[in-house]
Amino acid sequence: MTIIFRLKLAFISLFFLILSSSAFGQKIIEEKELELVNFKTIKKVLQQDGLTQSAEQKKKQVTVLKNAKAQEEKNRYLYPSEDEIWGFTSEYWLVKNAQVLGWDFEKPDYGLDASFKEMMEKLGFYQKKFKILLLNTPLIVRATLPGDGESIHLLSVPFIRSLDLSRLEISLLLLEDYFRMEEGYFKDAVRTEKLKTLAGKDFKGAKPDLSLLSELVKNYDQHVNKKGYTFQQQFEITKKMDAHLKSHPELWNVYFRLLGKIERFLKVNIQYKDYVKLYPSPAMQIKWLSPAEKVL
Amino acid sequence: MLLWLILLPILSFANSSSTDEKVIGIFYMKPILGHVHQSSVKTSASLTTIQCSHPVKVIESSKVSTGTEWAYVQVGDHRGFILKEYLATKRPDCFQGKYPKFFDAVNLDLAELYYWGRLYDHYIQVETRVH
Repeated sequence: MTIIFRLKLAFISLFFLILSSSAFGQKIIEEKELELVNFKTIKKVLQQDGLTQSAEQKKKQVTVLKNAKAQEEKNRYLYPSEDEIWGFTSEYWLVKNAQVLGWDFEKPDYGLDASFKEMMEKLGFYQKKFKILLLNTPLIVRATLPGDGESIHLLSVPFIRSLDLSRLEISLLLLEDYFRMEEGYFKDAVRTEKLKTLAGKDFKGAKPDLSLLSELVKNYDQHVNKKGYTFQQQFEITKKMDAHLKSHPELWNVYFRLLGKIERFLKVNIQYKDYVKLYPSPAMQIKWLSPAEKVL
Repeated sequence: MLLWLILLPILSFANSSSTDEKVIGIFYMKPILGHVHQSSVKTSASLTTIQCSHPVKVIESSKVSTGTEWAYVQVGDHRGFILKEYLATKRPDCFQGKYPKFFDAVNLDLAELYYWGRLYDHYIQVETRVH
């Protein structure tokens, strides 16, 4: 009986021992919950799923978008950059002087686009853009303004008609003007200190200083109507024309004859007396183009 | 068969009336300012002036002949013509979009807005080819 009792006791003790040891090895609910909220324990799982990377990417995207938005807002209060202000100012000047320049009139199609394009391509000027605006006034014979990635050529129809210029002759005048623009003579002549200091700058918190525009417009007036180009600049352009047309004798001859035609015309037409002051001078250009006389 | 014979003229009529006028798509104005013209002629009257990036609905209609250079468009309540070269399929980068505060400060009056649009009617545009 005692043996049986002892055996039972030993069996019960063993049972409780096993039970208690298994209970000790298990985690309590709170512990499990802590594991769930403990990021460190699930970090590996997230990394394996690529969720951390995508969260980081999202964070970067948000930063980029935020910065872009802030930059966009800042840009709203910027003065245009120098490159971008030229085209705007030129068109603003054309609009302000619409009545004087008389460009808003009905005119025949002279086919200038095709002839100028053909000549420019023949001379190797590819991927170039031009705008031509015909003026119904003898006051301004010709001018070239900087555009938005192109040059804006102004040409007087009364002048074309008075001289009875052919399409090729007109194209050669436009080429001269294109070279002037390429050399940067116009921009150099009208550029102001204000443009240099303000272009591309921020004016947030204040009204933009529009004298930037009005000063430029004033300089446009001066250059187109009064100042024009210097002898030195004219010499450079004539030499450039000579160099480009030399390999096309038919064009060179037309150009040479055209200068003679203009020179003779200006001598007898007092209406165009200012032309020589602005573009000095067809007579000199002929001289510069003519071969040097040999002294025997 | 009888039903088909009844429906055929109706269906063919419906088809012809739908092809009579078709929306080609939404395009955007490229120049800084431009006009919607009354007819497909550069010197024709302006119905309205629109700014760069303004969306226009380009319509194809058998009743309206446009020629190759012009697009027949609807802008608000106006239906008129715009030169195709001044329309873009995507929103262009516009001066007034880039520098809105500066452009607003210039404060163009109605006559200046009108002339600016006219400028683009009068430009002879030349672009030499790619070599």
